[in-house]
Amino acid sequence: MEISTEEMDGGVTRVGLDGRMDIAGAAVVDLKMNLIAGSAKKLLIDLEKVSFLGSMGLRSIVLPARAVHSRGGKVVLFAPTEMVESVLKTSGIDSLLPIHHDLAAALAALQ
Amino acid sequence: MPAENTVQPEPRLSLQSELDELARLWPWVEALAAEYAIPADTRFAIHLCLEEALSNIIRHGYGGQPNHSITVECAPAGRHRLVFTIEDQAPLFDPLASATAEETPAPSSIDQLRPGGQGIRLLRKFAGSLAYERLTGGNRLTIGFVFPR
Repeated sequence: MEISTEEMDGGVTRVGLDGRMDIAGAAVVDLKMNLIAGSAKKLLIDLEKVSFLGSMGLRSIVLPARAVHSRGGKVVLFAPTEMVESVLKTSGIDSLLPIHHDLAAALAALQ
Repeated sequence: MPAENTVQPEPRLSLQSELDELARLWPWVEALAAEYAIPADTRFAIHLCLEEALSNIIRHGYGGQPNHSITVECAPAGRHRLVFTIEDQAPLFDPLASATAEETPAPSSIDQLRPGGQGIRLLRKFAGSLAYERLTGGNRLTIGFVFPR
């Protein structure tokens, strides 16, 4: 599991997750996700390269997102695969953290 | 049908009751997927359901206590169906029973998003079939998956 960050125009922080967000993968990204969530105001979580998402992986998305929201920030989820999106929708997270497949729309949602 | 010229994966995986043990799940599921030519989406569902069911047993069934055993057995049931049987020696723990299986209502605000508690909901969505049996001194959860050829 790998995690990368990119500061984009408009004050958007893009976090790229790459790999399996299973229990082991979630443990790898948790610390860095929490650090990013401690300062980001507009967070785009790029899920394009996430090949698996379980409930521990969901936790690694929900807790940082909650931290950003609690400081008045915004979070969007970007480009999950069909199965990962199905996990997000089954858990009901999609109703609170919007999912976008178009980057322009994702960035617009953060403004 | 099993593929030819490949080493058959073990039909049974024995795990200790520790979350770190779940790292052994992935290579086992991958080997089964190769053996039975399981499509990617079904493989995802199998991995998801096994991880959710096993982590539930470790955290709730065994209450986080290590050094207890859990076995997962995989058996084909017809040409396009696999059945996984998970057995443990934990106290009575039916993940499908009313108290634990009641689906938490969809969260209405980000603050209500529970970081955990999604396991049963995911199991119900992604498993083809689910059944629980109380054993003498243990529990058995059976999870079936049907996959297209």
